[in-house]
Amino acid sequence: MIAEQWRRLLAASATAVLAATLSACGGSAATAAPSAVALTFYYPVAVPGPITQLIDGYISKFEQQNPGITVKPVLSGGYPDTLTKIETTIKGGGTPPDVAVMLSTDLYSLVDSNAIQPLDSQIAAAGGNNYLNGFYPAFLANSRYQGHVWSLPFQRSTPVLYYNKDMFQAAGLDPSKGPANYQEMVADAQKLTKPDGSTWGIEISSDGIPYWLFQSFVIGNGSNVVGSAPNQVSFDTPQVVSALQDFADLSAKYHVMPSGILQWANMPNDFVAGKAAMIWHSSGSLANILKQAKFNVGVSYTVGEQGFGAPTGGGNLYMLKGIPADHQAAAWKFIQFMSSNDIQADWSMHTGYIAASPAAYQTAAMKAYLAKTPQASVAPDGLKYAKAELSAHDNAQVQKFLGDAVQAVLTGKSDPSSALQSAQQQATQLLSAFKN
Amino acid sequence: MSSSLASPSSPLPRGSAAGRLSVRLHRFRLLDASGVVVLAIVAIGWAVPLIWAMAVSVHSPDEPITASNLWWGSKPTLSNYAQAFQIAPFAQYYVNTILIVAGILVVQLVTISLAGYAFARYRFRGQNLLFFLILLQLMVPSSALIVPNYSTIRQLHLFDTLVAVMLPYFGSAFGVFLMRQTFKTVPRDLDDAARVDGANWLQTLWHVYIPPARPAMVAFALSSISFHWNDFLWPLVVTNSTNSRPLTVGLAVFTQLGEIGAQWPLVTAGTLIVVGPLLVLFLVFQRQFIESFLHSGLK
Repeated sequence: MIAEQWRRLLAASATAVLAATLSACGGSAATAAPSAVALTFYYPVAVPGPITQLIDGYISKFEQQNPGITVKPVLSGGYPDTLTKIETTIKGGGTPPDVAVMLSTDLYSLVDSNAIQPLDSQIAAAGGNNYLNGFYPAFLANSRYQGHVWSLPFQRSTPVLYYNKDMFQAAGLDPSKGPANYQEMVADAQKLTKPDGSTWGIEISSDGIPYWLFQSFVIGNGSNVVGSAPNQVSFDTPQVVSALQDFADLSAKYHVMPSGILQWANMPNDFVAGKAAMIWHSSGSLANILKQAKFNVGVSYTVGEQGFGAPTGGGNLYMLKGIPADHQAAAWKFIQFMSSNDIQADWSMHTGYIAASPAAYQTAAMKAYLAKTPQASVAPDGLKYAKAELSAHDNAQVQKFLGDAVQAVLTGKSDPSSALQSAQQQATQLLSAFKN
Repeated sequence: MSSSLASPSSPLPRGSAAGRLSVRLHRFRLLDASGVVVLAIVAIGWAVPLIWAMAVSVHSPDEPITASNLWWGSKPTLSNYAQAFQIAPFAQYYVNTILIVAGILVVQLVTISLAGYAFARYRFRGQNLLFFLILLQLMVPSSALIVPNYSTIRQLHLFDTLVAVMLPYFGSAFGVFLMRQTFKTVPRDLDDAARVDGANWLQTLWHVYIPPARPAMVAFALSSISFHWNDFLWPLVVTNSTNSRPLTVGLAVFTQLGEIGAQWPLVTAGTLIVVGPLLVLFLVFQRQFIESFLHSGLK
């Protein structure tokens, strides 16, 4: 305590010394007209490219259309950094941003820490369900809680299956489509794997967020790991156990995938280098893969035993709690603008994210883009097979329990049934602290 | 890192070596026969990522990085650097980082030498308790202090300024400890002689204590500079504008690419832009740094 006080004393005296510098630095803050509403918008980066320039461009367009509102964009690092920055601001008694992009799966944690407010009244005024129905339903799967809608889609993605059409052709497979289910994927991979080890049939990453791609196996088995309430998860059902067995079998039984933990960041590189004939990866990797691949690239859907299936991913637009009424109205206009068709189409073309609504794919700019890059229409078409991403209270911890189980099985340290049972027990115990 | 710093390939000037130091030097010489090979392996292991980063930063972004094409590729290009500079306003970030790092260091050198002097040569009530508490602060991870520090900054109305980034680091427990230990090695007689000559405490500190402590201060400066050059989370939390943000926040645009695969050419270009000056600084002042670390007993 005294050390802290001592530090503050030091700090305070140093501040006095620097007071002159300060008044010189801080003078430029209040320049907006008194009637103008000045919003702050936090956004994380998760894809490469001139992200800040794109966001700045959208904001100046928004400000032109909405005189009287200014928006200050603040790059807030990655998703975890954004959450830390906002939580620090709230705990430290500061003013949070008006609008922020955070993971769609952060919903329960944000509600639990009283950081966000629902958008119901604004949505009702904008047309209620008619308005919401304009978005892909899968992208709203992580937006509803306690009868409220808390977020709208902004930068969304889903895992897809990338395959090397040239290798398909050479192996006598039909290059016009990818495998329709797990059994077909194994059969294809067996034909594509070269015995000399130069090419693997398939590579599926299990590091970083291992639960995410694993969810594709589960959803493709006609199930999901998400519970019926945010204090429940469904990790140890027979469908989930057999999904994990399928994942592990790719290397252990069928020898069509390298064994061990495959690095998320290396998968696209292995694919464009011809080391893997098929990979599962984010739909957002498409642009980069097309740029580097010296062969024909096919895009299809991730699969389970019963067919196609995938979780959604990525970030949504949230309105923060405790902002003044005039800010709320302006913030809603901004959220609507950022999730609107033109912006979503442009954002999708430049970043590889999937646009929030089918209508964005009917814009002229997007149609021209799809004519040049037909592969980009695969991921949005596949959203009919997509379900909610794993999300619960204390989400990071719950996701880690499942991810650890997946890794334990893939490294041969455990069998699917006992690994998933223990993950279920850990999650149940953790979530028992929450009533619903 | 510490092993390569202690490499026997840069011998110390013998005249300046104190007794304790020469014992240590002797031990290094024993390493010569068997140790050189080990140290060389460590040094190469340390250098390879850096050399690889330099090679890949000119790798064409359109070319995949494969086992047979692991380095600069078939058509080296500077386009990654151009793109990196286009994506983030590195020029402004450079200015900010240098101001932040230099500002922190200047204030730290003043506070740690004053506090270290007080703890080394004065007797006052609660001295040991106070020193113990300062040492205790070394155990507190800085991430645990983010919320209280943010709260202080907010109350001082310093949010989103360069000073906000610097303020929590103006005092340094480690620096105070280091200066206290260094000052304690200065013979009392020198202090007394200066007083007899009529020097006041400040003159004594300046003329008697600071000169022999210079190596320790250089060593402290190096660790302070490299820490604050690389600090990310605190500046990110406490700033919102380009005008007050350091290089590391700019680098985040390249490294936080969770969604897609790593863009190694772009990531390495961005990284080298950020660490480049530090590397040059270290290479230029390498000899002084190594001497300083040896003198101050830092690893």
